[in-house]
Amino acid sequence: MTMSRNVAIVGWKQTKHTACSEVCRERMLYELIKEFYADLGITKDEVDTMVLNSNDFQDGRTISEVYPVSWVGAFNKDQTKVDADGSDAVLYALMRILSGNYDTALIISYAMGGSEFRNQAIMNYTLDPIYERQRGIINELSASALQANAYMLAHGLTENQLAAYAAKNLKNAAKNPFALRQMADATPEAVLESKPYYSPLHELHGYPATDGACVMLLASEEKAGQWTDKPVWIRGTGSCQDTYYFGDRDLVKVDALRKAAQSAYAMAGVSNPAEEIDAAEIHSSFVSQEPIFAEAMGLFPEGSGGKVIDEGLSLIGGKLCVNASGGPQGANPFTTTGLIRVAEAAAQLTGKAGDMQHPDSKKAVAHGQTGICGQHNTVFVLSTEL
Amino acid sequence: MAQDHHNVKAFVPLTFGYNYRVGAWMEKYLDGLSEKKILGVKCPSCGKVTVPPRSVCGACFTKPEQWVEVPPEGELRTFTVGRVKVAAGEIKDADEPYVIGMIKLDGADSLLSATVKGIDPDNLKPGIRLKAVFSDEPKGTTADLSYFEPVE
Amino acid sequence: MRDVGIVSVGYNGRFVAKRPDINMPEMIQAAVENALSKTNLKFTDIDAFVEGNMPTFEGVNYPSLWFSEHLGAVGKPVMRISTGGTTGMSAFHSAYYHVASGLYDTVMVVGWEKHDEGDVQVGLAGIVLPEAFSLMQNFGPDLSDPSGAGLGGGSTGGASYQATSYISKSGGSVEHIDKMAAQARSNAALNPYAHLQFPGCTAADIAKTPITSYPLRFGHTCPASCGACVMILTTREKAAKASDHVAWVKALANATTDATTGNLVDGQITDPAEQAHCRMIAKKAYEMAGIEDPMKEVQVVEVYDGFAHQELMWPERLFLIPEGKGPEYLDRGALAIDGEMPVNPSGGVVSTNAIGASALVRVAEAALQVMGTAEGGHQVPRKVKNAVAHGWGGLFQFVTVTILGDQPRS
Repeated sequence: MTMSRNVAIVGWKQTKHTACSEVCRERMLYELIKEFYADLGITKDEVDTMVLNSNDFQDGRTISEVYPVSWVGAFNKDQTKVDADGSDAVLYALMRILSGNYDTALIISYAMGGSEFRNQAIMNYTLDPIYERQRGIINELSASALQANAYMLAHGLTENQLAAYAAKNLKNAAKNPFALRQMADATPEAVLESKPYYSPLHELHGYPATDGACVMLLASEEKAGQWTDKPVWIRGTGSCQDTYYFGDRDLVKVDALRKAAQSAYAMAGVSNPAEEIDAAEIHSSFVSQEPIFAEAMGLFPEGSGGKVIDEGLSLIGGKLCVNASGGPQGANPFTTTGLIRVAEAAAQLTGKAGDMQHPDSKKAVAHGQTGICGQHNTVFVLSTEL
Repeated sequence: MAQDHHNVKAFVPLTFGYNYRVGAWMEKYLDGLSEKKILGVKCPSCGKVTVPPRSVCGACFTKPEQWVEVPPEGELRTFTVGRVKVAAGEIKDADEPYVIGMIKLDGADSLLSATVKGIDPDNLKPGIRLKAVFSDEPKGTTADLSYFEPVE
Repeated sequence: MRDVGIVSVGYNGRFVAKRPDINMPEMIQAAVENALSKTNLKFTDIDAFVEGNMPTFEGVNYPSLWFSEHLGAVGKPVMRISTGGTTGMSAFHSAYYHVASGLYDTVMVVGWEKHDEGDVQVGLAGIVLPEAFSLMQNFGPDLSDPSGAGLGGGSTGGASYQATSYISKSGGSVEHIDKMAAQARSNAALNPYAHLQFPGCTAADIAKTPITSYPLRFGHTCPASCGACVMILTTREKAAKASDHVAWVKALANATTDATTGNLVDGQITDPAEQAHCRMIAKKAYEMAGIEDPMKEVQVVEVYDGFAHQELMWPERLFLIPEGKGPEYLDRGALAIDGEMPVNPSGGVVSTNAIGASALVRVAEAALQVMGTAEGGHQVPRKVKNAVAHGWGGLFQFVTVTILGDQPRS
C-alpha cells in the first residue's frame, strides 16, 4: 500500500507543560495557536480543515470542544474531534489530505491532566464498568506493573536496569524546555527511592500529571514548501487495536503494536527498522513500556532491554535514540502525549531538537497509545526524504 | 504563580448515577461465582475457552453459547506487589502490601487477574499452583471470587 | 478522489427507551451482525472501524476499547470520534476519509448510545460544567407519558429561543410545531426501527402535552433512546461484490460557529435560528455534489430535529424549501413522505434519539432511501437520485451535511 499523495509535517508547537496552567485552557490554546501561526507565517484562512483532540472525561466536560472551537480559530471552518490519543488525530488529518479534498490540516490537542481530574480517576472510567471496575484489581498502575514484571521474568531485565531507563528519560527531560518533570541529576537509585506503587514500579517510573497543549500543521507536497524548507514526510502509518480483555492479551509481545508498526514500515519501505530508524518517540506511560514497545516495533532485538540500557544504545548519540525528549516521563498531558511524540520526532529530523538533538537523524518513528498497556496503538514513520 | 483571584473553585454538586446492565453472559458468570464455580464459554469455531465469558469470540466473531465449568485452579504466570491502592482516582498507601497475580486457569485460555494471598512476596515466582477461594456469603458480585491461595 | 459507497445499513433492533436484557457491547455486536448480514462480507473483510458516541452519558471512557471483540475489530484500526450531537455524522465523515484516503478499502462505522444506563441530566449538564451551571435545564419529572420515553437531546432553553425566532421569521405558530411533531411520530410508525411510533398521530395529540419551555412542548422534544446504527463503506471496485444496494457519497461538509449561550447573563447576541454557517456548508456540499438546483435535484432530506420546529427550519437553511416557507409547505403536505420534499420519512430525531447514533442514522436513512430499501412503509415513492443528511450539535454551533446519490461522484 502506497500513499496517493505525499504529506508532510510543516510545523508544530507545544506549550511549556505545567502541573497547573496559569491560564484557562481556552487562553492556553489561543496563545499557542496565535504564536504558531505567526511563527509559520500562515493565516487561519490557509488552514483547510482542523482536527481537534481532547478527552471529554479528562476535560470534565461533555463535548469538550464546545468552547475551544472558537479559541482555536475554527469559526466557520470544517472541524472535527478525535476522542482518543493525539496520534489518531494525526492519522485522521493525514487521511483528510490524502483524500485530495484538502491540502492543509491542523491538529490541535490539549489536556488539563494536572489541574483537573486525577488521571487515575479517568483511567478508571476507561475500564469496563461491569467487570474490571467492579473488581478494583486492575488499574493503570497495577496493569503496567504486571506487564513490567512479565517482561522482566521473560527476559531477565533487572530493577536497576528498569530504573536506569527512567533516569535516562528524566535527564533527557531536563534538556527539554517544554518538559514538566526534569531531573538533570537523575539516578537509578533516586528512581528506586521514589514512592513505590506496584512492584517493580515506583512513582518516577511513571509520569507527572500534566496540563499542556500541542499544535501541528500537515500539508500536501504541493503546498508544504510555503511554510518550511524542511518538510518532514509521513512515509508510513499503521494503527491497530487489540482485544480489551486484559487476560487475553500478550503483554510482552503487544501484538497490536507489532502489527501497527509492520504496516507503517511496509508503507515506508523500511525492511530493517533496527538499522534504518535513527530515532524513536514512544508513548510509554510507564518506562517499562519503553523496551517492550521498542521491541514490538522491531527497533531493538526481542528481550534486549537490559543490554540496550547498559550499553547506552538508546541514548542521545546512541545507536537508536529513544525518547530524547524524555517521553511521557517528562510530561504526559494525557491524550496530547501522542501528538507530542510526533512533534518531537519531527524536531529530531529537522535539527530543531536543541540540546536533545540526536545527530544525523533522517528517519524516525513516532508512537501513541490509547488505553492501558498498549491496547490501541498508532505508529508513524517519518523521514526527511521522499 | 497565579494569584488567588485568578483561579475559581467551583464545587458542582452533581451525583453521577449509572446503572449498568451486565448482560446475559456476565449474569451467568456471577451466578456461577455465587455457587463457587468459575464459568467460561467455549468458541464453537476455535474452541478457545474464555474467562470472563462474553457474547463474542474476538478471533472468530462467533457467539459462544457453550458453557464450561473451569476448574478453580491454575498456575501463577506474572504478579506484582501493591503498596498503594487507587480509590476515587487517588493513589493512597495500602495498609499492607498485597499481591496481584495473573493466573493461567487449568481449563481456560484466558489469564485471570486476582488477588493472591498466603505467599510471601519474596517467594513469588511463576509456576506456583494456586486455587480459588470463594466467599461463603455470596452476594452475586465479582467479589464472590475473593482471592487465590497456594495449593497445599 | 476515490469514490466511496455505502453498502450496508444495520441496526441492533428497534430503538427503545430501555434494553435491560443486553449490555453496551452486546448492543453494538447485534448492530454489527445485522449490518454484515446484509452484505456478502465477512467480518475479516473490514479493514478499519470508526466508533462514536457521547461517552459521559454512559460513564465509560473510550468505549471502543471495550468493544474491540464485539465489533469484530481485534487486530484492526479503530478510531474514536466524539463531537456532541453531530457525533454520528462526524464518525461517518471519518469513515469516508478512511476510504477516500486510499489507506483502507472497507470501513465500518458505528454510532450508538445506551441512555438507560446513564444519567441524561449529567451528560447534558456537563456540556457547560462548570462555567454555567445554571444553564442546566429541568426537563420536568413527569416521564409517565404513553411512550414511556425519557427526555434528552439538547438544551431546551436554547432550543426554545431558536423556535421562537424561527416562528417569528417564518410566520408560523406553535400549532405548526404541533403538526410537525405529529407528522414525525406518524412517519416513525412506518419505520420498524423508530422509537416513538404513533400511527395516526395528530397535532391535537401533541398539543395535549405540557409546555416545557415556551413554545416547546414535551411532545415536540426528542426521547432518550437506546440503540446502535452501523454502516459499511467501501470502494467503487468492491461495492458491487459486497452488496446489491449501494448509496454513493457525493459530498460532505462541516463547520462550527461560536457556542450559542444567548440565554446567559452575559448575553451573547446570536440568533440560533439564523444558522448562517449551515447555509455556507450546504452551498459547499451542493457544489461538491454537482447539484445546482437542490429543490429540483434532491428527492428527500433527513435533518437532525432534536425539537420538532427544526424539521421546518433546517430544510430552509439547506435550501431545500424556500426561506420562511416551512409552515406553508407543512400545511399543504409538501413535507410528507409522498410530498414534493419529504422531510424525515424515518420519523427523525424527535422520534428516535440515541445521541451518538442520531446523526449517523440521518445518513443511514438517506442511504436506505437511495437504495430503495427503507422498510415498513417509509420509503419515499419517487426514485431517489440525491438525498441530503444533516446533523447539528454542541451549543447550537456544530453543523454537518452529507449528500448521497445513486451515482458515484465521478
